[in-house]
Amino acid sequence: MIELKNASKSYKQGSREVHALRNVSLTIRKGEFLSIMGPSGSGKSTLLNLVGGLDQPSQGEIFMDGKPLHGISDDELTLIRRRRVGFIFQFFNLLPILTAVENVSLPLLLEGTPFNQIQPRAVELLNQMGLGNRVEHRPEQLSGGEMQRVAIARALVTNPAVLLADEPTGNLDSHTSEEIFMLLKTLHDKGQTIVMVTHDPRAAAYGSRIITLKDGSLSEDIAIGGQAA
Amino acid sequence: MTLTTLLRRISLKHIRHQKMRTAMALFGVALGVAAMTSIDIVNSSVIRSLEDSINRITGRAVLQITGAESGFPEEMLEKVQKVPGVEYAVPVIETNASLATGSERSFVVLGVDVLQDSNMRDYSVTGDSSDIPDPLLFLAKPDSILLTREMAQREGISIDQKIEVQTVQGLKTFTVRGLLEPDGPAKALGGDIALMDIYAAQLAFGKNARIDRIDVSVLRGETLDSVKTRIQAALPSGYNIDTPAGRSRQIENLMGRFRKSMDVISFMALFVGMYLIYNTVSISVVQRKKEIGILRAIGATRGQIIGLFLAETVALSLIASFLGVALGWVLAKLSINAVAQTVSSMYGRSSVTGLDLSLASVLRNIATGIVASLAAAAFPAYSSTHVAPVSAIRSLAYTSNGTVLRRLQKILALSFILLAGIIIAVYKTVGVASPLRNSSMTTLAMFSLTLGVSLAAPLFLKWFIRAYRAVLAPRLGAGGRLAGLNLEKNLTRNAVAVAAVFFSISLSVSSSSMMNSARRGVMDYIDSVDNSDILITSGHPLASAGAPTIPMPLSMRQELESIPGVRSVDPFRKLFINIDGRRVLLEMIDVVTWPRNNTCTIIEGAMQDIPLIRGKDEVTVNENVAMRMGLKKGSTLVLPTPSGPRPFRVAAVIVSYASDSGVIFMDMPTYEKYWNDHVSDMFSIYVEKGRDIAAVRTAIQKRYQGTRKMFVLAALEFRQEIKKMLDRSVVMNDAVNVLTLLIAGFGIIVTLLASVLERTREIGILRSIGMQRRQVSGVVLIESALIGAAGGLLGICAGVITGWINLEGFFRIDFGPSMAYHIHYPSIATALLFAVGLSILAGLYPARRAAKTNITEALAYE
Repeated sequence: MIELKNASKSYKQGSREVHALRNVSLTIRKGEFLSIMGPSGSGKSTLLNLVGGLDQPSQGEIFMDGKPLHGISDDELTLIRRRRVGFIFQFFNLLPILTAVENVSLPLLLEGTPFNQIQPRAVELLNQMGLGNRVEHRPEQLSGGEMQRVAIARALVTNPAVLLADEPTGNLDSHTSEEIFMLLKTLHDKGQTIVMVTHDPRAAAYGSRIITLKDGSLSEDIAIGGQAA
Repeated sequence: MTLTTLLRRISLKHIRHQKMRTAMALFGVALGVAAMTSIDIVNSSVIRSLEDSINRITGRAVLQITGAESGFPEEMLEKVQKVPGVEYAVPVIETNASLATGSERSFVVLGVDVLQDSNMRDYSVTGDSSDIPDPLLFLAKPDSILLTREMAQREGISIDQKIEVQTVQGLKTFTVRGLLEPDGPAKALGGDIALMDIYAAQLAFGKNARIDRIDVSVLRGETLDSVKTRIQAALPSGYNIDTPAGRSRQIENLMGRFRKSMDVISFMALFVGMYLIYNTVSISVVQRKKEIGILRAIGATRGQIIGLFLAETVALSLIASFLGVALGWVLAKLSINAVAQTVSSMYGRSSVTGLDLSLASVLRNIATGIVASLAAAAFPAYSSTHVAPVSAIRSLAYTSNGTVLRRLQKILALSFILLAGIIIAVYKTVGVASPLRNSSMTTLAMFSLTLGVSLAAPLFLKWFIRAYRAVLAPRLGAGGRLAGLNLEKNLTRNAVAVAAVFFSISLSVSSSSMMNSARRGVMDYIDSVDNSDILITSGHPLASAGAPTIPMPLSMRQELESIPGVRSVDPFRKLFINIDGRRVLLEMIDVVTWPRNNTCTIIEGAMQDIPLIRGKDEVTVNENVAMRMGLKKGSTLVLPTPSGPRPFRVAAVIVSYASDSGVIFMDMPTYEKYWNDHVSDMFSIYVEKGRDIAAVRTAIQKRYQGTRKMFVLAALEFRQEIKKMLDRSVVMNDAVNVLTLLIAGFGIIVTLLASVLERTREIGILRSIGMQRRQVSGVVLIESALIGAAGGLLGICAGVITGWINLEGFFRIDFGPSMAYHIHYPSIATALLFAVGLSILAGLYPARRAAKTNITEALAYE
């Protein structure tokens, strides 16, 4: 469903040219739970940004369901992010001024759907996340784990084709991290495609496939319980 | 739909959370709209009251014939009465007088033909006079006068009482024969009006066989234009025949200068409001960068983000504009009397009864408030769309869009500065008659330059920090180095604070330099053209031409010269004449004696030429007249005299700041010959050397005690009065300056607080490795002082330039290009000290916050 062909990304840092990603070719299939590993600065987040349409490659091509994500306008790319991609960030990235239910509703509010039509679905998602009693709470009134679950609910509200998670437990204790991974695993079991960046080999093991990046290039690609892709 | 939902869900919460910032933005726009509204209300109320008074005095007359202010021969009446189509033509004398006792209030005396005037105006008279059964038939008694009931009650005057009135001929005694009920003309001018028989009035006010006006009504079936044309043909040229619409236009022209100065203040207030909006939105965009990144990451388009900020601005400015209209009404109510008084003393009587606020004006001001706010918010709102969606992710290594924005900002900055240069170049190149030569052009240039420099603030700050790091930072230790680095790291946000300081300092330096130039110009002018020791006037000495004054007979000159201690006396007469529909001030002096004691700046010709115009049909003109009418030394200028148009040769072009509508100087005997007017508005007295000025002054007062009421002033006092008046006129400017400085201080507090909050973790790290609280607050204070210094320097440079631009548009355009530009150095020094001082003061709170940072919490901060 997502295909990268010789995708590269470089940027200028002062007068220095930094090659964050070099000629990566990769296919992510529907229903796959892909874990991306690698040391700091290996290009994990850059790869995730390209897959999620947060950024465009300097060279190469990216396709989602056969449609290009490269060389399209900012508005087209934005609509793909809004409708097809769900993001989960390390620092949750909830809007502090909105309540839990409003944060979850935000992508559909951007779509122009009236809040009263979104609300039942947002509340249902929060219930599924075990946050039925936190609907009207603001982020500052929630724990780290609760905030991340609100963020997951927000990522799911549009029924996205792919869920992207960037170190989703990087800011959580081990017990809460476990809960979040279980939640992601359950979603995957229901058929959700997930791409997750992580440092932690134990976390990566929740995935159905693990790729490892080194210096911006793909160095390893292992399918859990199967062969390499 | 999406936008309103986002506005409700996100923006309103921000607006509520950032109470102080919201309040400042609301206040700024409300103030701008309030200034516009109150000025609108005051202007239209004053104009309406002037119109109302004129209409009441005009009565049923549809055409009014006037000549020079000194009046015209009464034979003209007969000529007009014979013109086909004229129904009635009645003569009128309209002159000023004042009560010699009581409130010494001045009033207008209407001298009318009692037998004919009822065809034009209705009077309702009450009279229980024992002498005259019908008060209107007081023709037989030339000392008779009718007062309004309002005035009589106010002054405690009753019927048959004798009153002393100051006239051109000195103090005269009249008998009140009846009272005019508040109806028709008696309701004009707040009741400050009296009625006399025209021939009695001519006698009392020294208008020998002259009248001031002919009021004409037209036969049914005749058109105004055709009758007007016939009258024009019947009279010598130089007479004005006004229709009611023309009179309204004249009032508006008369008020033009006043309106212009008011408009400048309202524009400045709006500009300040716009700057507050610019500042609020800029800071808001910078502070909400993370939020914008999140919104963009989860699918908000650029259009939605820009829409969000603009919608916030519209919501804010809509509320602010409504508040502004209400505040404007209150301001108008508070200031209307003072303004009406100023207008009365400067331009003519007005008595405002109510406030005039039209729906159209309310809607226009609200719309202006919103459009101005949107314009101010446009660039910062646009910059919000350049926040890359990846900003939401922890790795922020590359945001190429920032470079695009910085480039765009540089291009815009350069374009606006260039535009300002082009406008000024065009303004200076086109001829004086060009429609492009007006104060809107210079205002546009100033606006453009200010905007351009504001946009260039990040670039300037970058250079400034580089210079600071090279020169000063090494001497300030680690704190100094850190402060420089911190400022550089958040260039965009710090540049907003720099721009706020720049704006206020620039405004302050610009207005003080402009006002200083005007003040010095006028004072130098007065010092050169009037070196007398004592001044005598019968009206208020500071009243401009056209204000209610009661002139004195020229024969007083000899009387004054005979007083012991008086070396010589110069007469001075001023009145407005109409040249091709344009009001020009005509000033009369004795060209032989005046240059012995005084001098003036000559543009063309020589000082020696001035006495030589005696006995010739020659005049001198000021720069304004020369420029506008294309005159040079030797040119011919045709002036309308009461006996018809007459050519005069221009003997010299000189500098005069006596009027913004142009000045022509004539020798007194020439004026007497053609105008048949033998009065003087002022006498300048030169005291013999060694004589005590105060003693001579007392002798003059004694000489006229009981026969004439007049102001006898030491010339020094007069000059001090003028200085005071000029100082008063800059009070409004000062108020705007203080306001902008407060805004700048506020801008710095907001910027530094945001910066301190953002650096909580960094401050925690510095504290953890051993930085003292004192050192932490020191760094913040150095940053603050640097912002102030950068803004101050930029403001001074721009202020010096905009001061010159404003002098061009507001003073040189009316008074002539010779008015020199004097940069006001004390205000520059004060501005720089103030900018740095205020910045340090504004930095105190953020510095305290930074110093109090809790180390363990800060290290866990995200």
